[in-house]
Amino acid sequence: MKKQVLLPLLSILIVVGGLFGWSQGAGNSVLLGLDLKGGAEVVLEPVEDTELSGDALDEALDKSVEIIRNRVDGLGVAEPDITRQGNRIVVQLPGVEDQRRALEVVGQTAELRFRPVCAILPAVPIKLDQANNQNSDGVNDGPVGILPTDQDELPVEGPEGSESHSMASTPDGIGCENLGFAPEDALGMENTEADNDEAENPVIFPLLDSEGIPYQRLLLGRTMLTGASLETADASFAGGFEWQVLPVFRSGADGIDLFNAAANACYNRNSKCQTGQLAIVLDGVIESAPTVNTPFFERDQIVISGNFDQNRAEDTALVLKYGSLPLEFGDPTDPTSGSRVRLVSATLGQDSLDAGITAGLVGLALVALYMIAYYKLLGLAAMLSLAVSGTMLWVILSWLSETRSLALTLAGVVGLIVSIGTSLDSNVVYFEHLKEDIRNGRTLRSAVDQSFPIAFKTIFWANLASLIGAGILYFLTVGSVRGFALMLGLASILDLVATYFFLRPVVKLMGMQKAIQDRPWLSGLPISNGEES
Amino acid sequence: MSLFGRMYRNETSVPFAKLWKPIGLCSLLVLIISVSSLGVRGLNLGLEFEGGGAWEVEASGIEAEQVRDALRPLGIADARIQTGGGVLRVRTELSKVAQTSLEQGESGDPIVAQVTAALAELTGQDESAISVSTAGPSWGEEITDKAINALIVFFIVIALYITIRLRWEMAVGALLAVAHDILITVGLYALFQFEVTPPTVIAFLTIMGYSLYDTLVVFDKVRDNEHMLSNSNLTYTSVVEKALNQVFMRSVNTSITSILPVVSVLVVGSGIMGAVTLREFALALLIGLIIGTFSSLFVAAPTATILRNKFGDADSDSNRSYRLSEAVKKRSKNSQAAVKVPSNPAIPPRPRKKRK
Repeated sequence: MKKQVLLPLLSILIVVGGLFGWSQGAGNSVLLGLDLKGGAEVVLEPVEDTELSGDALDEALDKSVEIIRNRVDGLGVAEPDITRQGNRIVVQLPGVEDQRRALEVVGQTAELRFRPVCAILPAVPIKLDQANNQNSDGVNDGPVGILPTDQDELPVEGPEGSESHSMASTPDGIGCENLGFAPEDALGMENTEADNDEAENPVIFPLLDSEGIPYQRLLLGRTMLTGASLETADASFAGGFEWQVLPVFRSGADGIDLFNAAANACYNRNSKCQTGQLAIVLDGVIESAPTVNTPFFERDQIVISGNFDQNRAEDTALVLKYGSLPLEFGDPTDPTSGSRVRLVSATLGQDSLDAGITAGLVGLALVALYMIAYYKLLGLAAMLSLAVSGTMLWVILSWLSETRSLALTLAGVVGLIVSIGTSLDSNVVYFEHLKEDIRNGRTLRSAVDQSFPIAFKTIFWANLASLIGAGILYFLTVGSVRGFALMLGLASILDLVATYFFLRPVVKLMGMQKAIQDRPWLSGLPISNGEES
Repeated sequence: MSLFGRMYRNETSVPFAKLWKPIGLCSLLVLIISVSSLGVRGLNLGLEFEGGGAWEVEASGIEAEQVRDALRPLGIADARIQTGGGVLRVRTELSKVAQTSLEQGESGDPIVAQVTAALAELTGQDESAISVSTAGPSWGEEITDKAINALIVFFIVIALYITIRLRWEMAVGALLAVAHDILITVGLYALFQFEVTPPTVIAFLTIMGYSLYDTLVVFDKVRDNEHMLSNSNLTYTSVVEKALNQVFMRSVNTSITSILPVVSVLVVGSGIMGAVTLREFALALLIGLIIGTFSSLFVAAPTATILRNKFGDADSDSNRSYRLSEAVKKRSKNSQAAVKVPSNPAIPPRPRKKRK
């Protein structure tokens, strides 16, 4: 009998302890919000020669704010601060400690471009003669990955010319046509720098693996269409086995027709797109380079599949959806542009955090005192149960901080403090049931068994309502309301978990102890009528 | 026996039904004050909702507190101040007039000029080195619109949930109680013109969630007791009253454990340690949590009871009792065991003699 209780109790303690250990071991910690810790700030100012003005400019700025919000706050809980100041957009990101990272997140100048892949190159530029030497030495397998092309009729420059070759001066053509140099020459070329990343010119960009290390480079042709042709995009887990990205193009000549022209070229592997791959490039970064395997697409039935994991699929969908801003902004790294990036301090700072934490601890102590004074040992069990759910909450929050940049603001800290009290309610409901049962004549032991299912039913249905509410708010809102919904949902689930898997066995165990059965005052329960008679 | 002793033993017999009317009237009065102050004075929406003015000046080595002290005489000590990166930024709410003039590119409005002058003096910079612009809202209308839509869906789904799980009268009662709590708390913000910031909105939502949860726990008890209707000639009102007395101690204890931490935030955090930003937020939560518990007993329960007494159809009650007695008969037919009273949490069967 005792085993039946000890086993689940030990399992939950091991699970919670293990999770906590893993979290600490992985170095996860809860990220603090802008108000408490500060972060990085990117200020975007439209370039001076923007054609928009008045209401149109206003609208474009508002739209940009919305797009940036979606971009930086995928899960909706990072609580960035995005505002317009006059014609500038100020984006503040919590927990971001270096400026480069801030720029990456905001992706300010982002324009999405679809470029055909003309050739696949090894990760490091090699001069042709050098490559040949290596080949004969057996050190290297030679110019790996370069694909056969039908560009032989083009003038071929010597290897020595490749380095000084300027891509900017290439003749006209579509996609990979008429690049002005042989693809072999690209072997020796350096990656294209951001400054030279022009839509009308071919470029070379690295393909990065999951650690951000380049493993290949792609020679990309001229841009065939941009993000402006896209309407929206989604990520989906298709058929239960792979992640896919589903873009939807606008209809007509500026939308799907452009895409189909590119797709057709790649499918036929003609001179515009010899490799059959169409690369999606955002801000000089190749997001994906899928192979095209149909010549013609309906605008809303396009599937990009590949080795996507969930994160990559969702990121790519986000990029497709929000890729380009309706307005061109100055480059924040250029001091003359009016746009800039810098680190900012907390608005409230350490004092407020200290005050919040101290208040929380005092509150916790008061609650513990009250619970133990009122429910004695049961109160102690309740506080332990709170510790179990609190630990789980901490593990989840720090995991979300690490992976989804969830940030805890001062309001969040107070929310946690409030949840101390409310999550004790399930314990109170159970204990009051126990008391009532015992007053009605049950023994402690049978009351413990009898009361739990009834009390748990009440708690379950009430928490389910909270959970439904949290789900609705989470999926339908943005910003801090969404953060609130996440916390409410987590608190409801953890409350049920801790009550069922921890409080129930602990109280049951207490009910079995002879020492407690004989001393009703220890458990804080009334003396059963059965004993009196 | 002392009152506390009786409460401890759950032997309270508070005549809830008699209290409903006078307390309901008080509640109504508070509600009227709240709603009318909301209508007359409106909410004092913060910078995050309405936008305001923004000042930027290059300055280093200046602490936020110094800036706050410099702005205090101008009555905007609650401005959002940020330092770091060699730049000082101040954002604050402005009157409509000041904001409009700022939008039109003038900075001649007295308060705008005063802030500029104060910052110039503090940083030792020339006034022309301070850039002044409008600050847009960070909590845009997009967020508000979505939140309102979500809340409408939320209320519809929760109403359905309670109707299916409990009764429609209870759904009306629960939603009325939630509305009551939110209106009173928001009304207090209007009455005292506390500034509404995003954390305040989150506090309102927290109160909403808590109020709903609390009401559901109370209604669950009422429903558990409904079987009494078939066994005796008790009225629905007295059954509800009994249920409320049974959950009374639970309500009191839950309120206490919920309120203690918030009181601590208010007294320790904001009072002793001086984190003023916590004050209004904690105050809203404190009031909301107390009202949330109160409204389950004095708004949700009477509403459901009155509706039930008025519209509750007698047929369904007799059907219910009929079904119950049928079930009992069936069970006794199927098994030789003694007939048990259908699961009744309130009155458990007599215990066995205690083993020694």
